[in-house]
Amino acid sequence: MIGSRRVLLISGVLMICAWTLVPIYLVALGGVGGASTIYAWPKPFWPASLSIGNFTAFLQIEGIWAAMLRSVEVAVLCMILSLLLGAPAGYALARFAFRGANLYRLMILMTRAFPVGILALPLAVSFVRLGIYDTVFGVALMHTALALPFAVLVTASLFVGIPRELEEAAWVFGCSGPGAFRRVVMPLAIPGIAATAIFAFVISWNEVFAASVLTVRNKTLTADLLTLLSEAPLQSQLAGGLLLILPSVLFIFFVRRYLFALWGVASR
Amino acid sequence: MADIRIESVTKYYGSQAALRGVSLDVHNGEFVALLGPSGCGKTTLLRAVAGLDRQTNGRIEIGGRDVSDLPPRSRGLAMVFQNYAVFPHLRVRDNIAFGLLMTGTAKDRIERQVARAAALMHIEALLDRYPVQLSGGQRQRVAVARALAVEPAVLLMDEPLSNLDALLRLEMRTELKAVLASARTTTLYVTHDQTEAMGLADRIAIMHEGRIEQIGSPLEIYRQPKSIFVGGFIGNPPMNFLRLPVSGSVVRLGTLILNPPAGINGPVMLGIRPEDLEVAETGAGFAFRVHVPEPLGPHILLTGDVEGQSMRVAVAPDRVMQPGDVVMLRPNTARLSWMNPDTGLALENS
Ligand SMILES: Nc1ncnc2c1ncn2[C@@H]1O[C@H](COP(=O)(O)OP(=O)(O)O)[C@@H](O)[C@H]1O
Ligand SMILES: [Mg+2]
Repeated sequence: MIGSRRVLLISGVLMICAWTLVPIYLVALGGVGGASTIYAWPKPFWPASLSIGNFTAFLQIEGIWAAMLRSVEVAVLCMILSLLLGAPAGYALARFAFRGANLYRLMILMTRAFPVGILALPLAVSFVRLGIYDTVFGVALMHTALALPFAVLVTASLFVGIPRELEEAAWVFGCSGPGAFRRVVMPLAIPGIAATAIFAFVISWNEVFAASVLTVRNKTLTADLLTLLSEAPLQSQLAGGLLLILPSVLFIFFVRRYLFALWGVASR
Repeated sequence: MADIRIESVTKYYGSQAALRGVSLDVHNGEFVALLGPSGCGKTTLLRAVAGLDRQTNGRIEIGGRDVSDLPPRSRGLAMVFQNYAVFPHLRVRDNIAFGLLMTGTAKDRIERQVARAAALMHIEALLDRYPVQLSGGQRQRVAVARALAVEPAVLLMDEPLSNLDALLRLEMRTELKAVLASARTTTLYVTHDQTEAMGLADRIAIMHEGRIEQIGSPLEIYRQPKSIFVGGFIGNPPMNFLRLPVSGSVVRLGTLILNPPAGINGPVMLGIRPEDLEVAETGAGFAFRVHVPEPLGPHILLTGDVEGQSMRVAVAPDRVMQPGDVVMLRPNTARLSWMNPDTGLALENS
């Protein structure tokens, strides 16, 4: 009984790992191996020759550094906006019983029900009118819209997990409303907020469609790569892809222990 | 130190009343317990005093100052919460110092106060731990120490012992009483546990459906309940009530002739505590049929009936009782309570 459940669990874990890791592995293989590795079949487990040539080639493509910098700018801006708008909304959802709270919650999710593809053209037109078309701020705004539902719902569940009594104790022992938030709620919410921020960053960093539609010259890295797809050799594309994936993976990998440890404290 | 004055406080949640006009004075340095069944409004009243919820109507004064519109931090009080509410991200030391830090107390004074409060609650050894590393009882001690450290004018506690196991609760109760008696802090203490209230309080306020039903010393509440509710709520087992007719201004029970307060006609409720009955070997008495005898050690608890009305009696453990036995009982006539069966209120003894 227990044995078969364990087998099921392990095979599930393996499948999920394969689902995410195999593509990354293949991209990495193409990125660091020479052209011969890319077209070889069956794939070697280890590339015949290791080289960083593809990366240097990729990084020498004109405008790549600028695109990368823009990607970082957009992602950081998206992160800040998502938190600034999302955390207060999450707090309100968690702490106050107001008329239409459930409808509000549903509406937040509904924003994700409209495909960006349908919204893209009217958005582009509006952005042109507002003068934020083809700007870092414009793309960040769009990415914030994509990340916000996530930010609101995750921070709401985060604040729900912080007992109201803790806040009340802070009030009784001398804190004002904002003071209690800063001294008690924030420290307990920080790990979750950090995770929300990272996810907002990653959502923006990985987003390609809106970024392509809303920009012409000032493209983010993903959008830029999309246009390069037809021009650059495959190994350069794969090297670029790897560079694109790495920050997200590393970021989450390095903070994960910190996240888990503090979540344990916060949920108590 | 300060007194608390609660004047005709009401609280409505929507159209539902949680407090229906509560007035209560807690004197300087006094320990008053709010005692009542779950849902009677104890927490609501305490939270109104703390300023965590605003009362719908009425005034609350602390130390002669109307605090109704003041936030909790300006009311000069400390509170111990039911779930302790110890800050999980702060060490025990910083938890205890929290209130002092907020009022801008000097550093060396904070240190002294923390050390003193920790010593009172016997948690000196835990000062550098985080709450996660503490047991429930230890967290409770931290919560009390945090409240004592600020030397509040008024201390509020909401069922502070209810989450502890029975043995720990008894221990903490005794300790709390000693600590608070020496601090002489004005204390309002919420509990649904009558032993706790009786053991700790100078005065007990019995709450029922959003009102204070009776307020008095533990003994007064026990001996002279002002209503059938209070008599039936206090005591373990609670007071017995027999519905009896009055004829010719006396009440006959078996061969006993009892004198209810003058001027009553119609039936009355006679309240008798289980321990105020004794077996009548000779002389007047009434017949009691035993259904279930329970030897509890200090006494035998008998459940049975008198003329079809159920009754519980605690008798000396020196006799053997069987179900179906009939014994003659006699009450201590100085300890009888007379109630109006319609209003449920005590009749004045003339
Ligand atoms: N936030 C609230 N909203 C609506 N009703 C409430 C709220 N808090 C308490 N009540 C109601 O008020 C009454 C008194 O509650 P409470 O003071 O918590 O009782 P106690 O502490 O004596 O058990 C109960 O009937 C409860 O349902
Ligand atoms: Mg309560």
